[in-house]
Amino acid sequence: MENRLRVLRAERSWSQQDLAERLEVSRQSVNAIETGKYDPSLPLAFRIAELFELPIEEIFVSPARRRSGAI
Amino acid sequence: MFAAKWNELTPAQRAHTRRVLWLLLAYAIVLPPLVWIRANTAIAGYIPMLMAVAAALPVLGIFASWGRYLSDERDEYQQSLALRRIAVATNATMGAAVVWGFLQAFGAMPLVEAYWIPLVWVFIQGFQACVSRSRTAEE
Repeated sequence: MENRLRVLRAERSWSQQDLAERLEVSRQSVNAIETGKYDPSLPLAFRIAELFELPIEEIFVSPARRRSGAI
Repeated sequence: MFAAKWNELTPAQRAHTRRVLWLLLAYAIVLPPLVWIRANTAIAGYIPMLMAVAAALPVLGIFASWGRYLSDERDEYQQSLALRRIAVATNATMGAAVVWGFLQAFGAMPLVEAYWIPLVWVFIQGFQACVSRSRTAEE
């Protein structure tokens, strides 16, 4: 699933390790989510959204909406 | 470098690694005298069975540690990777054991002791873990 995690992290000048510590996950997890290799669970997606103070849909791109060309 | 890698591990991974290292140390200490006793003394009765259990216990501990790790891991991505590694290693090892078993039954391959099976399983898992870590270097 595509997402804006890398951009949001870069805007705050955080490394993957910085973000991982804030989310209490491993750096590999952040890397896997950023590169779209792993889709986080709903609780983790909410933690990410709360950390960036954004709605989930402004961070993660819905695959269905992307396919339909809505995004 | 080792410290940096160690710090990248989750608390559950660190605990699991510590447990496995202690168990491997126990295995390295327990096994040589047992092998020596078996080769150089005439033992009978229930003693060989006790010796076999003593040799197997550290390895059983490693499998128990894997179970504990899966239960303790709070990082969902690492947990999913561990489960995937276990599934791949189990399928590959069981497949190899079945093929080897038939090759052996038909006389095409020599007898291999059954305790090599878990070692193959552990090796496949370790190999996958190394590949996985090298793929997730910070970009």
